[in-house]
Amino acid sequence: MLIRFTLNGDPVEVALKAADRLLIDVLREDLRMTGTKHGCGIGSCGTCTVILDGEPIASCLQLAALVDGCEIRTIEGLADAGRLHAVQQAFVNKAALQCGICTPGHVLAACALLDKHPHPTDEEIRTSADSVYCRCTGYQRILDAYREAARLLGAATR
Amino acid sequence: MNTHVPHPTGRESFLVVGKDVPRTDAVPKVTGAAQYVADLVMPGMLHAAVLRSPHPNARIVAIDVSAAAKMPGVKAVVTGADTAQRKWGAFRPDLYPLAIGRVRYVGDEVAAVAATDPAIARAAVDRIAVEYEVLPAVLSLDAALAPGAPLVHDDTPGNIAHHFAFERGDVDAGFKASGVVVEGTWESARQWHTALETIGCVAQWSGERVTMWCNTQTPFLARGRYATALGVPEAQVRVIQTEVGGGFGGKSGDDNASVICALLAKKSGRPVKLIHTREEEFLASHPRMPMRYWVRLGFARDGRIKAKEIKMWADNGAYTGKSQAILGAASVRHDALYRYPCARGDSTLVYTNLVPTGAFRGFGNPSADWAVEQAWDLAAGKLGIDVVDLLRMNAVGPGDRSPHNHKITSCELGQCIDKAAELVGWRAKRRARAPDRETLTPNPSPERRGEHRASPDVPSGLVMHHEPAREFNEPAREINEPARGLGMGCSVHVNGRRSFGDWDGSAAIVTINEDGRATVITGEGEIGQGNLTVLRQIAAEELGLAYDDVDITRPDTDLQPHSLGALASRLTYVAGNAVKRAAAEAARQLLNAASEQMKRPPEELTVINGQVGPRNGSETEFRAVGAIVRANIYKPGGQPIIGVGNFDNPSDFPDHNRYGNESGAYNFIAQAAEVEVDRSTGQVTLLEIASAVDCGTVIHPAAAEGQVQGGVTQGIGLAMIEYFDWYNGSPTDPQLKDYPIPGAALMPKMHVAFADSYEPSGPFGAKGLGEIGLDAVPAVIANAVADAVGVRITQLPITAEKIHRALHPELYAGEQVPPPVAPKGSVWTRLAAGRPSGARPANPEMLFPGTVEEAVAQFAAEDAAIVCGGTAHALRRERSGYPFAKRLVAIGRIPELNELSIDAGGALSMGAAVNQERLYAEPRIRSGWHAIDDALEAVGHTRIRRMITVGGSIGPLIGGFDLPIALLALATRVTVAGPQGRRTLTLEDAFEKRFAKDEIVVSVAVEKLAPRTGSSFLKYMARAVLEIPTVNTAARVTLDEKGRCRSARAVVGAVSWKPIVLDLAELAGKALDENLVRGAVQNVRSLASPMSDVRGSAAYKREMAAEFAARALLRAWQRAKEQ
Repeated sequence: MLIRFTLNGDPVEVALKAADRLLIDVLREDLRMTGTKHGCGIGSCGTCTVILDGEPIASCLQLAALVDGCEIRTIEGLADAGRLHAVQQAFVNKAALQCGICTPGHVLAACALLDKHPHPTDEEIRTSADSVYCRCTGYQRILDAYREAARLLGAATR
Repeated sequence: MNTHVPHPTGRESFLVVGKDVPRTDAVPKVTGAAQYVADLVMPGMLHAAVLRSPHPNARIVAIDVSAAAKMPGVKAVVTGADTAQRKWGAFRPDLYPLAIGRVRYVGDEVAAVAATDPAIARAAVDRIAVEYEVLPAVLSLDAALAPGAPLVHDDTPGNIAHHFAFERGDVDAGFKASGVVVEGTWESARQWHTALETIGCVAQWSGERVTMWCNTQTPFLARGRYATALGVPEAQVRVIQTEVGGGFGGKSGDDNASVICALLAKKSGRPVKLIHTREEEFLASHPRMPMRYWVRLGFARDGRIKAKEIKMWADNGAYTGKSQAILGAASVRHDALYRYPCARGDSTLVYTNLVPTGAFRGFGNPSADWAVEQAWDLAAGKLGIDVVDLLRMNAVGPGDRSPHNHKITSCELGQCIDKAAELVGWRAKRRARAPDRETLTPNPSPERRGEHRASPDVPSGLVMHHEPAREFNEPAREINEPARGLGMGCSVHVNGRRSFGDWDGSAAIVTINEDGRATVITGEGEIGQGNLTVLRQIAAEELGLAYDDVDITRPDTDLQPHSLGALASRLTYVAGNAVKRAAAEAARQLLNAASEQMKRPPEELTVINGQVGPRNGSETEFRAVGAIVRANIYKPGGQPIIGVGNFDNPSDFPDHNRYGNESGAYNFIAQAAEVEVDRSTGQVTLLEIASAVDCGTVIHPAAAEGQVQGGVTQGIGLAMIEYFDWYNGSPTDPQLKDYPIPGAALMPKMHVAFADSYEPSGPFGAKGLGEIGLDAVPAVIANAVADAVGVRITQLPITAEKIHRALHPELYAGEQVPPPVAPKGSVWTRLAAGRPSGARPANPEMLFPGTVEEAVAQFAAEDAAIVCGGTAHALRRERSGYPFAKRLVAIGRIPELNELSIDAGGALSMGAAVNQERLYAEPRIRSGWHAIDDALEAVGHTRIRRMITVGGSIGPLIGGFDLPIALLALATRVTVAGPQGRRTLTLEDAFEKRFAKDEIVVSVAVEKLAPRTGSSFLKYMARAVLEIPTVNTAARVTLDEKGRCRSARAVVGAVSWKPIVLDLAELAGKALDENLVRGAVQNVRSLASPMSDVRGSAAYKREMAAEFAARALLRAWQRAKEQ
């Protein structure tokens, strides 16, 4: 089965090995985009979060066949010609990471929130950050990074 | 070179140290460029899968791998016969790489396959036939210690893996001199590291030499052990550390994964990748070791500690790993925290047929602290002294020595206690409270042997004992009013420890290069804690170079000097000192070179910002470091600048009975927390927690704070939410759903402070802090719970149910506890079916119907399944391993199913393919049907709502789902389509009569609510993140013009096969009040028929069903009144 979708702005075409192949396996194995990380396989941890048509999803639960025609953003699609996306820069500025395995998921969850809500409330930030587990940081610096990202994005558009 | 003169108070003026420089690993990690082991791909690489024991104890009669080996794509199958048949292990070699004749726990490795595709490898595992003779197993400490118990290892009588005892000072005299004595028994719990990256390896042989890319914390130690396990000389093994996605002790080279990977690579002659599945990580990594810990403390009446005695038993699991050392730490380490004049201990490590335990952040300290820090809290109550004052009075200080000869150097524990108390407002909150309360202690383990009991005359069941009045207890409150309480605790940790021989050192090389940059060559590595960053800072500070001009290597056992790696909170202190010394030597060589080139004595020269020149000299006199290095090389007999530094921890190698100064320095923490306890549910809300840490100079404040915050968070998980249901020696559902870890929403207000402290033997005054944030947290929370409601929890975890039982024993008086039954689903389904791997043989066809009728026709065919959101299919596949169907009918793009409308009459219609996020974004749903909005809100995240459709929520007719429960409270009709056409029925009817097998949900319609109607939905999840709640409830209340009840309905889900729907006719015409509402739902208890599981016992679920039915009604009533 052949699917076509837009990945980080570029058209891609993938012949699925099996019709029920999951998006995470298409990204990591077929397209060798290993920035999307596998965590639990049951949608609990959010490590594998990618953005599908503007909304964060668990790529470990998403049947790849169903993303035909959709737009997908992964962690590899954020930085532009070596310049970090504001959300990535915010995670660097706030040292909002440790082992880094959940970082792509957190960065993308934050991007999805800030795209819709450029001035999120603390409650919105907490809810979004709650959608991705982090075993290292205790989340405090991740919440700081969300606020920093909103500030950087606000400054950029002003 | 900068010359650092310690400031009298310990402060120095630093250029790089103490600054939040950008982390070395930050950019690769935020861009996805960082390479973890699962990301590695080699040409020709194979994928491994492992066959594990389904039995806790069994003899292997025969293994037949022939069917697996013949499968196309399978390149190697290995069993114990393919190994060197040598046992290995860090301290007590007792583990074979693959089982030889016997399996000892559910998860024990039996055989493994390497194949060209992961799916083929998993399918091949299912073809391996193993004949077992199942043996009786010992599944608890008591079973293992019982006379005549089956032996886990035939050569280990009594299942005693290790034992030691000590008496230091005159303990009997100490207790004789004590005016107040407290004692008790506490039990700690297994906790899984749950690094979000599982354990993995890629192995490749080249001739007789294997290279293993591992996510290990300790590459050099791992190499030694892996060589033993493989039966080859160490020289034939090279270990390279990849990026490590979380370690916490769980990746310190005690598991078989890498060894099996290397065996498969050898046999197949190709590179092999082996990555634990999440399930394997739960079954077969080495979680925290649970302990039963009896402690007795004696105090003088003024509060001075006089004596301590402990007796403890630790559940090793089936193999030892590092547990022997953990036992030691849990026995003696705590005695370096307070001024114990004497201590007696007796510690036993016990084999059981359970998952082997191992190193986990804290390394025994959390179990010791769980018991001893609660005993101190009990003592404070008995002495009538505020626990803050009691701990302060007894805290160790500089120059103190523990009974085990721990030599305390720098120590600001007193400062930490004061600071932690101040951060939570301890004194002010205490002043606001008044005395007198009794304490309820739930007896932690009814099966506990008499000799282990806190006091022999304690009967089983609930015990009430009176704690003496505390001057600071709260006034009596309404029984169901939330209660607040404060708790305090402390801990001490080492900075490295001599564990693997009489050396706890580190060696580093620092080169200063002709490009003006420096390179730190070290094999200590990075596991996310920030070590590479900290070591670069130390080198930069010492060299006088900018942080950005210092590079650092990643561990490769072929390239760097021997390094112990990330363990025992040692890196900042031990490796930091080695790097500092290497940098100092490199700087000395640089200044000598500069001296020669600039014709000035070296002591007149210094390095500032990458330039060398005279102290106080003018800018023009400075020359670039690179130029000096280049000139030093390019001359006859020239040489590069290479500094070598060594540091060995100034500590003792403790003897068999753990006497000896474990570490050259110790770090300390004091933690204080405030909790709120809901007396009607037992639920604990951690409001805030403060940690004040003495780790000497803080090298990287953000990383240090992160270490503490992360440790505290894991401590909260250990204390409150991380536990499984067990059956026959295995977790019943070893997945992240049944074992949640703390998420951002669970986080309390978290304070972190660092003491003003300076460790003279540390690099720039620094000490370690990697583990200490976790250690005391469970005890601190338990102390706060005891303060709030008088319930002393002695057995981890602290669950709402235990507290509820202690507060309301009368509700559980007639409880009948059914015997445990084999669980349904998950690993058990697969084991019972002889298909342990979860492989999927089928490759289904995906169909995309354009209309509902087309979908119905496709669905009617054999072996078809509907897919839409994707969750049900993917979840079932992941958890049961079975293919859902041969055809998948993807209905998500059928236009009719995507309709969402509210008609002129105000009725809501939702197509089956509409996802919950779309509903959640619809403001008219929010304002019109609160119950629906509550249910959408309860899902938690956009990510999940986006995956759940209306049809997926309703179609399976599962009462534990949120949306159907909310809709049952409203007037809801469901339209379904089948081969016979369409029909519409009420949701109640649907639950009664079910849908036909070939029907699919088309739409769901909800009527506009009558005037003066309120609705609500409430979900009670004891651990906050579960798919199926303990109970979920919804309600609708309509009032008449006079505000009296016209009609009321309550719905209760998750506690019976079908949702319980109560139309409360007895409330009609009445003016409602809380008692009336509560009275109306009392029969929910008897209508419910819940299963006992990880979410609560049947008895507790019945109580919560009534409680939350009432709460939902009260909320709906409130909303009706507000209209």
